[in-house]
Amino acid sequence: MTHARLITRSCTAMEGPYIVEMEHISKTFPGVKALDDVRFRLRSGEVMALLGENGAGKSTLVKILSGVYTRDSGSIKLFGQEIQGDLKPHQAQQLGISIIHQELNMCSHLTVEQNIFLGHEQAPLSLLDNRSMRKKAKHVLDSLHMDIDPDTVVGDLPVSKQQMVEIAKALQAQAKILIMDEPTSALTSVEINQLFTLIKELREKGCGIIYISHRLEELQHIVDTVTIMRDGKFILETPFRDLSMNRIIANMVGREIKEKFPRVITPRGKKVLEVRNLKAGNLVRDISLDVYAGEILGLAGLMGAGRTETTRAIFGIDAKEEGSIVVDGKLLSIKCPEDAIREGLVLAPEDRKKDGLCTKLSIRENIALPNLDQLCNRLGIVNRKKELAMVDKVVQDLKVKLASPEVNASSLSGGNQQKVVVGKWLARNSRVVIFDEPTRGIDVASKVEIYQLMNQLKQEGIAVMFVSSEMPEILGIADRIVVMCDGRITGSLLQEEATQEKILEMATRFENKLATQIG
Amino acid sequence: MMSALKRPLKRLLAIRGIGQVLTVTVGLILLCIVFGIMNPIFFSSRNVANLLRQIAPILLIGIGQSYVLITGNIDLSIGSVVGMSTMISATLMTKGVSPLFAVLITIICCLALGLSNGLLVSFAKLPPFIATLGTMTIARGIAQIANNNYNTDSIGESAQSFRDFFYYGKTLGLYNTIWIAILLWIVFNFLLTRTKSGRHIYAIGSNAEAARLSGVNIVGTTTKAYLVSAFVSCVVGLITTATSGMGTMDAGNSYELYAVAASVIGGVSTLGGQGLLFGTVIGASIWGVLQNGLQFAGAPVAIRNIVIGIIVVVSVLLDVIVRSGKMTKKKPV
Repeated sequence: MTHARLITRSCTAMEGPYIVEMEHISKTFPGVKALDDVRFRLRSGEVMALLGENGAGKSTLVKILSGVYTRDSGSIKLFGQEIQGDLKPHQAQQLGISIIHQELNMCSHLTVEQNIFLGHEQAPLSLLDNRSMRKKAKHVLDSLHMDIDPDTVVGDLPVSKQQMVEIAKALQAQAKILIMDEPTSALTSVEINQLFTLIKELREKGCGIIYISHRLEELQHIVDTVTIMRDGKFILETPFRDLSMNRIIANMVGREIKEKFPRVITPRGKKVLEVRNLKAGNLVRDISLDVYAGEILGLAGLMGAGRTETTRAIFGIDAKEEGSIVVDGKLLSIKCPEDAIREGLVLAPEDRKKDGLCTKLSIRENIALPNLDQLCNRLGIVNRKKELAMVDKVVQDLKVKLASPEVNASSLSGGNQQKVVVGKWLARNSRVVIFDEPTRGIDVASKVEIYQLMNQLKQEGIAVMFVSSEMPEILGIADRIVVMCDGRITGSLLQEEATQEKILEMATRFENKLATQIG
Repeated sequence: MMSALKRPLKRLLAIRGIGQVLTVTVGLILLCIVFGIMNPIFFSSRNVANLLRQIAPILLIGIGQSYVLITGNIDLSIGSVVGMSTMISATLMTKGVSPLFAVLITIICCLALGLSNGLLVSFAKLPPFIATLGTMTIARGIAQIANNNYNTDSIGESAQSFRDFFYYGKTLGLYNTIWIAILLWIVFNFLLTRTKSGRHIYAIGSNAEAARLSGVNIVGTTTKAYLVSAFVSCVVGLITTATSGMGTMDAGNSYELYAVAASVIGGVSTLGGQGLLFGTVIGASIWGVLQNGLQFAGAPVAIRNIVIGIIVVVSVLLDVIVRSGKMTKKKPV
């Protein structure tokens, strides 16, 4: 990624005073020791990458620092001051700690301005000073080079803009310690560039920044120091330049990962999925594509190119205006997901918590849910033995780490949740499996496991299609790449000929709308 | 000049839920026209005054329910608090307590119930449906034991000032009941739209976790909403006492549902985060106009109930249809 090369790194951070000193922090949740004697330090003017696999305890640690969770034991010093007793969210805020959460945490009914000032409204005598707040919100948004009307309702903004609003909110709060949990996962490259410029500015002002990301390539552009955690324990803290990428990964995983992108070569079989002239709204305009048995098709493109919408239309979530879907030579009429599933066409959606899992149900119930037709007898009574056998098989095949299949799906780490989302489809004989951003927000080791799973499906002669915004992943795993831009397919590349530059060129082939309107 | 005019208009139209408020406002106007044509007496000054006096209590409890619904909760105890307020105030006055003192004691009792609603929901984290179902039953029980399981006698001559203040008196040509509703609406609308607490009420209904992480006090804010609900229910109870001149144990029966109806017809979302008290005015008015107009048209109570039930369902259904159409177009990436 070349976009952030312009940013030069300063070394002033190494001399700043410590603003966070956490020592011997432990935290236990029912059944899990989330943090075990962890140390974490941050200096002013320092960008600290907090690294570790999912479930390593990074989120728990920063949640303790921001007062969301209370620690079981250990000491916290902020700006040299020992914190006595529990640290409360508002106390952390008053001290200048802001956190940008991985899962967007916005009040979607409120406007941008209302969200930016939420919790610290300017309200003399409790009366809201809307004029002044709107002005200041505009100012912060301008400083982020964001052209957003502060009166826009947040729920109407695309995800990437919502993320920027969240960042604006932290800035408005005059954060001295800024925690960013996967801030770039929803951003476009232009926005990432802006974010990095901003991080640099904040560092110059003496802010301490804790940066959590699974996109290790990003780190070189901004990070001064690295703290690595594994299994709830502190592993090491060291200046970033002393570490190679391989050593970082080795420390996170506790072992060397040989291949980031394991590739399996299988002969291409016959055509399994054929989509012709699919139309569904503005973002799916005349899509035609084929997926063959024994191949993985990557769907690339920028945010908002219509990739997710295409998968939704194929799977029958959104209504199709036109177009046909053929599986194994049979024309299908897919009006809803139920039709698609019956015909062996399944989708593992992008948003695990919202679309992929019933988070309040157990792992067992989640896996059994789409397969109840196979598990029930004629009276509709679930065969427990069959159900448990199916769940055990999925859990073993996918190496899902869990205490028991009876725990809530929400209690699993991101990577394991993703395995359950995928696993519930594997229990039935599917012909086409579509993944939408299968590795978003999950750690390196789990990513490799997901890739291996996709390879396994491919070897079994199943047509696999996946949407991804991560170029290295698309290039590393897909056998063929289809690129979308603005609701259309703008190119198709074989794995051998594909490069980042070619994909990006195709992904930005916007139609000249003006010309087409006049012509 | 144009932009100066455009901005507030744009901001108005950007408010979530304004669409339904405008739709039902048109509906209300149409209803009035139809009833006016069917029976000219509908628009007579006497009937309009009566109609407004019918609407006032529904509007008041609607305000309370709207507050609670916007936080994403529900208050089922409203009707019982009305009954409790009626019975406590009437019992005290028949026992010779001065009206002013009786009103104060009644308000304190009702606020105590509102406080327990708020704490049960936000602090003890009980589901609001269950918590207020419990307090609803308790409050009805209190209404029943207030006068030893009997309705009270007449509150008597000495309470005439009380009856005038809440129901029979007029100020500037309008019945006091109507004034009470208008003034409380202005106060509570101001609190909801212009103050920090009001903003927080919307925020926790929209996304309680986001609000908490932003430093919003969930317990305090939720409790305030329940206190408002209990307070307006208390006022409606006092109006009921003034109207009938006595306390009846089943006063306010199923008012909590009327309050939900008024809120929901007016565009308040039962899922929280969205709603305008202006909509509640329209919702309560549609309720009142239907009751009044259908009565004039000679429709029996049963028919009135069926019509109002249909209106509740249809108005929400319309909103769902309109919004789902919008959502699929704007589906984020």
